[in-house]
Amino acid sequence: MSTGIVTTDLRKTFPARRWQGWRRRHVAPVAAVDGLSLRVPPGQVTGLLGLNGAGKTTTIRILSTLLRPTGGTVTVDGLDVVDHAREVRRRINVISGGERMVYDRLTARENLWYFGQLYDVPRARLRTRVGELLDLVGLTEAAQLPVERYSRGMRQRLVIARGLINDPAYLLLDEPTLGLDAPIAHQLRALIAQLAADGVGVLLTSHYLAEVEQLCRHVYLIARGSLVAQGSPAQLAGQTVRRHTVRLVLSVADPAVTAALRALAARHDAELIVDVDDGGRPRFALRHPEDLVGVVVTAVVQRGATIVGLTVTPPTLEDAILTLTDPAVMAR
Amino acid sequence: MSHALRVVAAEALKQHRRLFGQPLVLFSMLLWPLLTLAATYYTVLPVMESATASQRWPVAADPRRLLAFLAAGALAYTFFFSLVQSAWHFSFERVSGTLEALFLSPANRMALVIGNGAAALTQNAWLFGCFAVAAATAADVLDVAHPGMYVVAALALVVPAVAWGAFLNSLLIFSRDSAFLYTLLDDPLWFVAGVRLPLFALPVWIKAVGVAFPLTSSLVVLRGALLDRADLGDLAGALGWLVVLTVGLFLAASALLRLGEARVQRTGNLQVF
Amino acid sequence: MGATFVRNWRITLRAYPWTYFVGTLATGVLTIGVSLLAYRAIGGGRVGASFTAATGSADYLGYVTVGAAALTFVTRMVLWVAKAQITEYREGTLESQLLTPARRLPYLVGVTAQALSTTAVEVTVLVAVASALGVRLSVPDPLVLLAAMVAATVAVVGMSVPLSALMLAAGEAHITQNTLFTAMALLCGFTFPTSYLPAAARWLGEALPVTWALRVLRAATLPGADVDPWPAFAVCLVLGGAYLLVGLSILPPAERRALHRSARA
Ligand SMILES: Nc1ncnc2c1ncn2[C@@H]1O[C@H](COP(=O)(O)OP(=O)(O)OP(=O)(O)O)[C@@H](O)[C@H]1O
Ligand SMILES: [Mg+2]
Repeated sequence: MSTGIVTTDLRKTFPARRWQGWRRRHVAPVAAVDGLSLRVPPGQVTGLLGLNGAGKTTTIRILSTLLRPTGGTVTVDGLDVVDHAREVRRRINVISGGERMVYDRLTARENLWYFGQLYDVPRARLRTRVGELLDLVGLTEAAQLPVERYSRGMRQRLVIARGLINDPAYLLLDEPTLGLDAPIAHQLRALIAQLAADGVGVLLTSHYLAEVEQLCRHVYLIARGSLVAQGSPAQLAGQTVRRHTVRLVLSVADPAVTAALRALAARHDAELIVDVDDGGRPRFALRHPEDLVGVVVTAVVQRGATIVGLTVTPPTLEDAILTLTDPAVMAR
Repeated sequence: MSHALRVVAAEALKQHRRLFGQPLVLFSMLLWPLLTLAATYYTVLPVMESATASQRWPVAADPRRLLAFLAAGALAYTFFFSLVQSAWHFSFERVSGTLEALFLSPANRMALVIGNGAAALTQNAWLFGCFAVAAATAADVLDVAHPGMYVVAALALVVPAVAWGAFLNSLLIFSRDSAFLYTLLDDPLWFVAGVRLPLFALPVWIKAVGVAFPLTSSLVVLRGALLDRADLGDLAGALGWLVVLTVGLFLAASALLRLGEARVQRTGNLQVF
Repeated sequence: MGATFVRNWRITLRAYPWTYFVGTLATGVLTIGVSLLAYRAIGGGRVGASFTAATGSADYLGYVTVGAAALTFVTRMVLWVAKAQITEYREGTLESQLLTPARRLPYLVGVTAQALSTTAVEVTVLVAVASALGVRLSVPDPLVLLAAMVAATVAVVGMSVPLSALMLAAGEAHITQNTLFTAMALLCGFTFPTSYLPAAARWLGEALPVTWALRVLRAATLPGADVDPWPAFAVCLVLGGAYLLVGLSILPPAERRALHRSARA
């Protein structure tokens, strides 16, 4: 039996129907997840990255049984999510950003007790677990207040505690730090690392790449529902062809400088984009595996031009996502 | 089984927090029904006082019996309507995002909707229930064949009501326009179920519609057992039909839940019906 | 005032509460339905002497139908007029509305005019349904009917203003409005003569202008009820005016309280 969450050639197509006047019209269905195979092993944090609409949330909803795949399989510790949905639900939980999923009228303690009952957490365990979780997310003081009187951060912390109520073996996190302030987000990251160290298999989606680089041992990068790359964050960052980006803004346009930079780019086989910035000044972006800032500046200064802006961006995970998922974005 | 009971206990907490000590319960579950009951009584009184009325309907001859008849109707209607209200509330869980949390859990869906309905019923209706018992005792209008019939009447009121609640919860949670269903099940429900009139006064087609609602038969049993000295034999038909309806409602609820969740899993859209 | 009228109509058409309309209409139609069925199947088309004695007429169905129509009129009008301000409060426009120099009375007249036009349609539908069910109505004296409508409007507006203040002060509309509706249905003599009520309840009813407006309406629509409508008309105007004055004087503190509450929240 394979441990971990394993998806094989996972597909999800939403039936796309639209109302047109009074009749329902079938339009081309949307493939939100398209042949995705990945593995979330226990005891580490696995990242799932992609631009908006790439299919991250859809994937997480399939893994958590909220959606049914249209193709492929998902197993959790060998149990199929469709055939053994109830057993899978016991082992899994989801935390998503946006502080929903708790009851306003109930206190934090009651919310946790309520969901503990739904998850059939053994009575004695539930009693201690509620207290532990309140402690863990720092809501012990406010435990007897109804949630409607909580701030957003407090709610989100309760949502996190709710996601841990059944001691899940696998935790699916969909942008869990969305809308949290820096100290709380920091605590949450520490908590995630600790959970992984304790053996929980975590799947994390996030748009904060620093978070992903810090926590994930392995990252899957998807675009339009398909896998485009995977590896450790460092490997992924290294995979991009265009590494360093030198951005340069000059005070006035000068055909000689432009010609010189074009020649330089051709000589090094680098990519060069020429346009103007918001102030109408000429702007150049040069991308190359090596850092070309020295030769670029020399070439410009030799021709007597004035540099008003200069940035050098080393390779990042963000670059990797942009270049690997959508070349058109990079060209901009 | 014990997991299902824990789900019911959890739902009871939720309803307790939502309803307990709310002035709305006092008003909508006691004061308004009583004021409406009085207005109904006075509205039909001129007809009941007509010379021929008591020949057609013996209850008409005695204002106290008439009032008891209408009060039994108001009581049963309040029980059933409280479940329409709570199902309407349940449907808001879709909007607030907690429905997703319920679907994420391994809790039995049927236990959830039954627990929710049963808990709402107890939270909502205990006040009017107690009041009705006290008033009936004080006014000395009860006419019961034997003490076991109290139990029969209570079960005939509560069990179908819970099935009704489970059914409505399952229906409204996925429905696009729960406000419309809510309106549809308010006034028309009392009209077709014989809450304010004896069934014989209703035209056949209204009776036919009314038979489909458990409130109608619950009321026949309640009035028969408590006001008319009916015994099990007299009520066998109504009780049998009530069992059929109750089982039917539970089955329908279960089918709706299954279809609804399967549909949600396919489309990702929580509005199904 | 014209602006208020036009604006409210626009909002009405855009977000007309159809469900609520069906609900109100159903209440009226089914009340008539119950009386109709009871009258035919139980009463055998006759009513008791107490009714004839109290109303001077044996037209039970006409009595109930006119009453149900009047109740629809009153509930719908109160919903529009009394809830206008708490709706603005909830949508956050009360503050800006209070900041404009417009006075309250013109605002109220604007709301009322708009409410009258929608409610007239609804009551017409109800009466049409009743006629289709076989209820025959007669209007012996159209002038008195007109007076009855004026009286009913004054009564409703008079009661709506203090109610509006109450809603604003309590920050709550549902309980307040439904309690008023169920109480009025019992106390004012819509579907049965108030003389049926116990004395204490009857006196409560006398204090409501709607009760007096209904008396004018009965004089206009009940054949055989030979009463002089004008004293009731006068009482209705005086009572309605008194309610209006009281309402206008308690409205500003209620508004302040509501704004104070929303500032705190
Ligand atoms: N219920 C649905 N019905 C139809 N299409 C859907 C549904 N849910 C998602 N989609 C589509 O599936 C695609 C993937 O959406 P998904 O929410 O999984 O993206 P995501 O990676 O989570 O994006 P984000 O970063 O914005 O959260 C999108 O094109 C989206 O429009
Ligand atoms: Mg997403």
